[in-house]
Amino acid sequence: MKIVVCIKQVPATNDAKIDPETKRIIREGLKAIMNPFDTYALEEGVRLREKLGGEVIALTMGPPKAEAVLREALAAGADRGILLSDRAFGGSDTWATSYALAKAIEKIGDVDLVICGKQAIDGDTAQVGPGISAHLNWMQAASVMAVEQVDESCITVKRMHEEGHDICKMQLPAVLTVVKDINTPRIPSLKGRLAAQKAQIPVWKPEDIGADPDKLGLNGSPTRVVKTQPPDPRQTDTIRIEGTAQECARALVRELRLRSLV
Amino acid sequence: MLHHIQNKIYHVEILPPKQESEKLEKDLELFAQKYTRVMESGYCACITDNAMGNLSFQGTEMIQELELPVIPEQVMIHLNTFHTKENLDEILNDCVNLGIKYLLIISGDGSERLPKLKPSDIGVTGSESVTSVELLQYIRREYAGKFVLGVAFNPYEPPEHEFEKMERKIAAGATFIVTQPLIEKNAVVDRLLEKYPDIPVIVEAWMSKKLYLLSEAVGYTIPEDQDYDPIATLKMLHQTYPQCGVYLALLGFKRQYDLIKDIWV
Amino acid sequence: MLTLTDIERKEYSNIWVVAEVSSGAVQPVTHELIGAARELADARKSEVWTVAMGSDISSDAKSLFAYGADKVIVVDDARLDGIQDEVEAKALVRLINKYKPEVVLCAATVKGRALIPRVAVMANCGLTADCTGLSIDPENGDLLQTRPAFGGNILATIRCSNHRPQMATVRPRVMKAPEPDRGRQGEIISECILDTDADKVKKIIEIFHSSEATLNLSDARIIIAGGRGMKGPEGFELLKKFASRVGGAVGASRAAVDAGWIPYTHQIGQTGQTVQTTLYIACGISGQIQHLVGMQSCDVIVAIDKVPDTPMMQMADIAIVGDLFEIVPEILNELPKL
Repeated sequence: MKIVVCIKQVPATNDAKIDPETKRIIREGLKAIMNPFDTYALEEGVRLREKLGGEVIALTMGPPKAEAVLREALAAGADRGILLSDRAFGGSDTWATSYALAKAIEKIGDVDLVICGKQAIDGDTAQVGPGISAHLNWMQAASVMAVEQVDESCITVKRMHEEGHDICKMQLPAVLTVVKDINTPRIPSLKGRLAAQKAQIPVWKPEDIGADPDKLGLNGSPTRVVKTQPPDPRQTDTIRIEGTAQECARALVRELRLRSLV
Repeated sequence: MLHHIQNKIYHVEILPPKQESEKLEKDLELFAQKYTRVMESGYCACITDNAMGNLSFQGTEMIQELELPVIPEQVMIHLNTFHTKENLDEILNDCVNLGIKYLLIISGDGSERLPKLKPSDIGVTGSESVTSVELLQYIRREYAGKFVLGVAFNPYEPPEHEFEKMERKIAAGATFIVTQPLIEKNAVVDRLLEKYPDIPVIVEAWMSKKLYLLSEAVGYTIPEDQDYDPIATLKMLHQTYPQCGVYLALLGFKRQYDLIKDIWV
Repeated sequence: MLTLTDIERKEYSNIWVVAEVSSGAVQPVTHELIGAARELADARKSEVWTVAMGSDISSDAKSLFAYGADKVIVVDDARLDGIQDEVEAKALVRLINKYKPEVVLCAATVKGRALIPRVAVMANCGLTADCTGLSIDPENGDLLQTRPAFGGNILATIRCSNHRPQMATVRPRVMKAPEPDRGRQGEIISECILDTDADKVKKIIEIFHSSEATLNLSDARIIIAGGRGMKGPEGFELLKKFASRVGGAVGASRAAVDAGWIPYTHQIGQTGQTVQTTLYIACGISGQIQHLVGMQSCDVIVAIDKVPDTPMMQMADIAIVGDLFEIVPEILNELPKL
């Protein structure tokens, strides 16, 4: 089975410190890490390969330094990595990103399954996985919490949704996006890490994947971020409530109702 | 563990390189140098387990990869509850095979990336989560007689809670105690020593001048002190707690290491 | 990329809402979206259309006029049973090409978040996820889409000038549903699934509805969290009761998890999960930095604690000083009965 796992390098927000003034996370100086959801996608790919044989290819698009997440993927069990990196890819929104990744997957060829994390923790859009599947005109399953069965032409998965889950069967090739419940990703071993450091990682440019330049980067992105602003800082005036338990409870419920929270 | 104290054997903490290290080869070399030096001094090397939730390599794989010698009396491995069952058993079996017998069992710090042992993994019923107590019980049950097990004591936590936990840790098989770093005489530690006169207690000395790091490590604010003198504090700890062993956290190997050899004599 | 001229752009009008249909019923988030669409349509002097796709949904579709829909396109077909992203996407793109809406709104639910990115790619248009604010630029009809990014640390405003329709998703309970006007009338348009839409159909083998909604911390709108002050697992039983009354999830500090009172999956903070809810009620949590980084982006923070000056009590919008074991049961008494 030939499996592509799509990975994104993101800033590690969970490492962040809080600005005492605004009580918001300080974004500067954050480390770059593999998007946490993608670690589950990778682990699932590696487990499927261990069971069924084949190959796991880690694919990312980003600046040259994004190569680091591919080395991490290799350390955690991927067979090879491919980096899409070029100025022409810069500024891509989810439409253009999923287009570029889909073109790379076509270029890799004979891929049976693409696995993505449910979403990336920086953008939180959850759009790239289904976007890739749309560009490829493949079937898709989002929020997958278990792969139940795989054979040559079909895959059966358990999908999580708000009210429970379902189990569905679809044709391959297909795209999955996975949630954290699907597995526990392994921590790379020292041996794996040392081997990954020596691996060659090819860099693909738009011409390598036969991409239409008009569909890449800012040109290829229908959406434009026209303004960013910090949200209002946390209000620092705390409303204090004291008194008997009943008085406190009444005052709180009144406050929450005023704000339409209950 | 008692003979470590009687023979004035320091416990020297060594941190394995982090997974994210960008200069891994150099870090490996440095680890090997530190480890070898601790062995040569006759001290006990204490290797942390993903300290502060930072993804790091395991002491056991470092020792294997770097082919470092294990002197059973001189190696202690930290082991926390953030592992898969498979990984936990791999570490424990590696310890057995390498001849490592001292384990410091702690709840430990997690991170998004670190898996947490589930109660069902190690046959726990009656607790919603695995703490050092359940991990101790598991090791004592599944690896009977293979290890000497120690636990941590945090005098900065509310004492009643901490003493109650200590009771359960001792009942679960702990035979020595390592405190969180002390920078002065501590009434809660005094109480600990009174309560457990027969259990070897090792007090931790904070060998870095950076007290804010200590605040982060223990989770409580330790007042900043520009004039904090680790060596003077170490001497004070020996005087105050002559019946205790000493664990050296963040010891500087360049300059400090040479200074400590004449202190505990 | 193919972009539109001014003249082509003017061919697109009306604000569409893709109804959230599950288990054969239109879900309440649809009413919230229709409310938001109504305001946009009024600003554009155009209409609100709702597209209801599913199996056996015709009767439910009529109820949407009361919330402000002018027309409802009903696509009722047995092949839409279960979540069928591929079939729905093809049908929706066909309808978009036929009727040319200016804006398409969809619920940011598991189903909507899987369907609509597929539609956006196929229809060659832009999509903004999880919008918290929507307005229209009267000059050119651009939808100004505001969304939080980076764990709520910045608000981005997004425009999609050269493509129509403009697509956005909104999470449930972000917009307010209007009061229904039962006398309001509208027009039903029946459309169907073509065989060409249904070339890729999933076989749904099993559907499992959890009786007790196992709310994910990251999906919850309200979190009731407990710390060391909960004193034991029994304390968390109280919080579970509280959470289920307000439709929330239960969170915990590291101290409570380490004590074995509640599983690690509930842990919030640097070494647990990061959450961003509209309401966060911290019970007996002192507020170590490692916990605060995991919840500081929540909209409204309430702290209940005996100790009046913990970091959590200082950070909170509303701080209640007192014994939570007395106060929480009183809150349950005061809350409207469900």
